Amino acid sequence: MTLKKLLLATTAIAALGAMAMPAMAQTTLRLVSKDLLTTNPDDVKEIEAIEAALKAQGTDVDIQIVDLPGSGYADALGVMLLSGDIPDIMYFQGGDQKMAEQGILEDLTPWIEKSAHIKDALWPHNVDRLANYPYLLYVYPPRAPQPVMRKDWLDQLGLEPPQTVEEYEALFQAIHDADLDGDGTTGNTLGLTGYGTTAELDSVFNQAFGVTGTWMKNADGAWVSSRVTDAEKAKLEFYAELAAKDLFDKEFVTNTWDVKEDKFYTGKAGVIFGSSPEVIDIYTGKMRQAHPGEEIDLALLPAPSGPGGQGLAAVDVSKESRGWAISSLSENKEAAFAVLDFMASKEGQDIDRMGFEGVHHTTDASGAVTYTDQISTWYARFFNAANWTSPTPLLSPTAQQALDNLKSDFTPDNAFVWPADYAADVDATEQVYRSWVAKFITGEASFDQWDQFVSEYNAAGGSRMAEYAATVLK
Amino acid sequence: MVAKDKQRIAIALKHGNVPAHGSGSGMGSEPTSTESELASTLLASRTGMREKVRQWWPYYAMMAPGLLFFFIWHYVPIWEAKMAFENVRIIPPNIWVGWKNFEVLFSSPIFYQVLANTLIISGMKILFVFPVPIIVALLLNEVRSGKLRGAVQSAIYLPHFLSWVVIAGVFIALLSPTDGAVNQVQTAMGFEPVNYMTNTGTIRWVLVVSEIWRSAGWDSLLYLAAIFAIAPELYEAAEMDGANRWQKIRHVTIPGIVPTIATLFILNMGMFLSADLNQIINMQNAVNASTIDIIDTYVYRMGLSTGEYALATAAGLFKAVIGMALVLVSHFVSKRLTGKGVW
Repeated sequence: MTLKKLLLATTAIAALGAMAMPAMAQTTLRLVSKDLLTTNPDDVKEIEAIEAALKAQGTDVDIQIVDLPGSGYADALGVMLLSGDIPDIMYFQGGDQKMAEQGILEDLTPWIEKSAHIKDALWPHNVDRLANYPYLLYVYPPRAPQPVMRKDWLDQLGLEPPQTVEEYEALFQAIHDADLDGDGTTGNTLGLTGYGTTAELDSVFNQAFGVTGTWMKNADGAWVSSRVTDAEKAKLEFYAELAAKDLFDKEFVTNTWDVKEDKFYTGKAGVIFGSSPEVIDIYTGKMRQAHPGEEIDLALLPAPSGPGGQGLAAVDVSKESRGWAISSLSENKEAAFAVLDFMASKEGQDIDRMGFEGVHHTTDASGAVTYTDQISTWYARFFNAANWTSPTPLLSPTAQQALDNLKSDFTPDNAFVWPADYAADVDATEQVYRSWVAKFITGEASFDQWDQFVSEYNAAGGSRMAEYAATVLK
Repeated sequence: MVAKDKQRIAIALKHGNVPAHGSGSGMGSEPTSTESELASTLLASRTGMREKVRQWWPYYAMMAPGLLFFFIWHYVPIWEAKMAFENVRIIPPNIWVGWKNFEVLFSSPIFYQVLANTLIISGMKILFVFPVPIIVALLLNEVRSGKLRGAVQSAIYLPHFLSWVVIAGVFIALLSPTDGAVNQVQTAMGFEPVNYMTNTGTIRWVLVVSEIWRSAGWDSLLYLAAIFAIAPELYEAAEMDGANRWQKIRHVTIPGIVPTIATLFILNMGMFLSADLNQIINMQNAVNASTIDIIDTYVYRMGLSTGEYALATAAGLFKAVIGMALVLVSHFVSKRLTGKGVW
């Protein structure tokens, strides 16, 4: 080899090495999430904090946020993925099943098994859901709405939180009959309001009436949908009775979540459901904003006992309905999982749950943390790990009680993931059920028509679904 | 020169919209005005595409963005409609499945209910919504005070700029059985309150009325423009014949806007199976879902939300074929009855 060739070869190798060095040092990850946008300075700052913390641990990643609109996020994400643009880390809020079927979502089971943090951060329902559907990870407590009311109203009525179905009805009646909102008129406050469907109410009344799960065995020992059982009928009769007495909002069907909340804050309704402990604290804050100068607290009402039992509704563990996924096509799966694993660690949770030092919390010389008023504007973008504890209580006692209930009352449901062939049946039966439930409650249909509802439900796909359920449930 | 060319020259001379040609001609040149010049222009245009483009390039240039838009957004997707016959794979290639997606669609337990809802709602809209802008335009044309007409026009155009989310909120509040204005009036008159939004017998009428409220004013613009284009001499002649206002409307105005009515009716028929997804989604709730669930909402729920794009495309293609058939039928019926069609 001549000197010239040797020089050329050396230069070329050096140049290639120089080009390769930065790529080896830093891994670029593309991440798409409804709650992370480049236009939100807090989002960008959190990502920078995550990158810095990971780098300090020896993982150098450049996380690039892919902006998608929050409105219609699931549709926009689906279209983006279909066009072949598949980020490394994706947050799904529906539409993931089709992507999993197409093989673009990574099976997270082996990754979680060897994880340093995630496996310890999971909630019990996460473990079940991942076993059934290992493509989505959503480390959050289960969402089981729980009822709350103004504590001062409960005190004014001289009542204790209701423990039974009958006591709930008595409480709603007392709210309705008293002039708690002080407008000089009695009988114009609803005991309870809701929005859209009865799903919120079902969260505490299902078990009370014996609706123990999505599938129940009938007298012959065959699996049937709980929606066509006598227990369900008894529960709906109770709802209808409340509505007939003007104790439950007959307009729940047309209410939106903001209308529901507005009725609560303005005293048109006494009890509403909070979908999570954090939401209960948000309700408290908004209630205080609506009544300046009054230190209003909310009281958590327990799941009542009834003819069928007691407890929060069984939690669907068939799969996560939303959550994080890693692209199976990603060339940087290690780094992508490292980001998720870090977010489940104490350091990651500190960033994600407590916000920024000096803005959302302050730490004094002794290390004691105090949350500022700004903490109410902060929300976790990634996880709510089961094993993370805030150095200072992050939740109010009422919200903390709600969280404790979620832990102690957890019962897994027997719902399962439907094959794509059953999608039309699931959709049709859901339509039939929701429509009849609303008609029963508003009085448009009588319970004498129950058999007609059951026939319609079965014809819309209920029978076919029950046949399939019998093959899945043993 | 053929008779057809003579006719075109006559039309061009009448409307004065013939571009200049020949050396030194351009956008700023004086338009030709004699029959011989026009004749040579037309003859030259027959010599070939290149010559045509050279002669009429300013018009082609103005038309180009529109053509490009239609090509990209309306013609390229026609080719992609083949997705309806495929199992769409994010990792290519797609798998050809023939009519399977259509079979899934047509075997769905509620598809025929959904199709029936679509036909009923679309039929009601054609029957009750379509004539309203025509009536509004006729009424506006009769308002003699320019200021009053302007004020009325501004007021009735406004709802067109509101989104269906807002309109649905307005109607839900307005029709609330407890504190809605409509039910309060109804109760004051001794009637029982009705929850119009959840009553399966009334919800379709809510769709019709809200559609009229939103679009009648704005849609009357086209008819109003057509009315203004009617030659004033016709009205003068009618007046000389002793026609009163009603007779002028009946014998001059309405016949004058029949071509516009026919064209818009035919175009509306093409959209017959699109009963307005936005409106329905915002007005839909658990009770009325089975009554106003239309093809578009079904496709959105079953196709787009779950990532079943092939199924959604199959439903879209089904709608398009029906729409095309309706356009053709309407066109030929209109030709037979009024002599006017879309071409």
